[in-house]
Amino acid sequence: MRSRSSIEIHRCRPLLGTFVEIAASGTNPAGLERGIAAAFASVEKVHCLMSYHDPRSDVSRLNREAFPKSVIVHPWTWRVLEAAQQFAQESDGVFDITMARLLASRGYLPRREYRPHNAATWRDIFLRKNCRIFFRRPVIVDLGGIAKGFAVDRAIEVLKDNGVVAGMVNAGGDLRTFGQASQLIHVRHPAEPTRIAGAVRLRDRAMATSGIYFERRKHRRNYVGPLLDGRTGRFGRKLISVSVAAAECIVADALTKIVFSLREKAAGLLVHYHADALLLERDGTPSWMFRSSCDTRARTPFD
Amino acid sequence: MKSEFVFIALPASALIAPSAFAVQYLNVEQAQKAIFPGKSFTAAPVKLTSVQRKAIEQASAVRVLHDEQRVWRVGGGGWFIVDEVVGKHDFITYAVGFNTDGSVKQIEIMDYRETYGGQIRDQKWRAQFVGKTSKSTLKLDSDIKNISGATLSCRHITDGVKRLLAFYEIALKH
Repeated sequence: MRSRSSIEIHRCRPLLGTFVEIAASGTNPAGLERGIAAAFASVEKVHCLMSYHDPRSDVSRLNREAFPKSVIVHPWTWRVLEAAQQFAQESDGVFDITMARLLASRGYLPRREYRPHNAATWRDIFLRKNCRIFFRRPVIVDLGGIAKGFAVDRAIEVLKDNGVVAGMVNAGGDLRTFGQASQLIHVRHPAEPTRIAGAVRLRDRAMATSGIYFERRKHRRNYVGPLLDGRTGRFGRKLISVSVAAAECIVADALTKIVFSLREKAAGLLVHYHADALLLERDGTPSWMFRSSCDTRARTPFD
Repeated sequence: MKSEFVFIALPASALIAPSAFAVQYLNVEQAQKAIFPGKSFTAAPVKLTSVQRKAIEQASAVRVLHDEQRVWRVGGGGWFIVDEVVGKHDFITYAVGFNTDGSVKQIEIMDYRETYGGQIRDQKWRAQFVGKTSKSTLKLDSDIKNISGATLSCRHITDGVKRLLAFYEIALKH
């Protein structure tokens, strides 16, 4: 006899260089298992296409061959590149996937055999018809976070297509929920990631958080993290964190990087994407909270 | 839909204690089902000799911490192995399914625990919180389901799987 009560299944697999957790709820356990398996398959596909580390990925082929030849990529890779270029344009280069060359020079990414031009930017990437990509100068790209956001969106789509009514996908902090109930999402403390600074409630929405966290390294007596401003090439130093909520996870992820550099000046873009932002200072207190849609509800204390 | 984006600050007392984040995704039986649905399993634990241990370390360039490996033979071919890795921030139990040809079929995380290295293991450091754990902290711990921010790398799992691939070659294949 099949139980009619709702059950929730959680699964977790190592993918995209992090832990990807998928939760699904419904009344049919076999259907949930199928949905989760299909959702992981789509995350795995994004992983294979967009990994910086895998020499067979589209991203590795681009980095090796898109200059001086051109490279045909999978339509999913093309979509992520197209989104990246759009965010680069809208942020005037703050968001720039070609800054991988600086990440490689600081040891955040392996250098490989690549010899990028030292003034290369997102403007050197050209998206042609039929998924053809061409670099005007030697460039290295890393789709890291936004590929993760894209993978989360694909996984959510697959869960829905499989008849799952409520669920959640969390790829190492880039997450998205769907369904009737809201979910409590805890946010790490910016200076001490081993602690929790607070929480937000999300319903049918994505959220990404960027901060320096575990990645910080000492550079010239200062801690720097892997977040940098594409316009200046400067690495983020402040132990703040930025969380952005938006309808899609790919948007939330890209906007966290933009808000990290631009802070309040990113308000226009947040409005454009109907996104919300939360900036936590190094002591864990919120210094800027931006809601794109008007909400007059008062802050509620935790207990 | 109206935006509900509100930050819920935690009471200062909750910030004293480290956040404990632990999830159990699957027990052994569930992990077996998830990787090899409908198959039967026969326990076949392996105790490594020091020679095998060295050979695995050499082949995988990963240290072997335990001589005993929890292994099951899968009905109709294949192997199911439960293993664990300990990192600076994580303590993870996971299961790997091997196909008959020794390729990895699937990896499932069974238990995920974020630990904070020295902090958790250091008794003195822990002692300072004894008696200070407020109710809200306890509540906080049990409430944490989803965390945003700070990608924990799965590098230790990648190393663990490398080690298990060598383990398969050296201790299981024949």
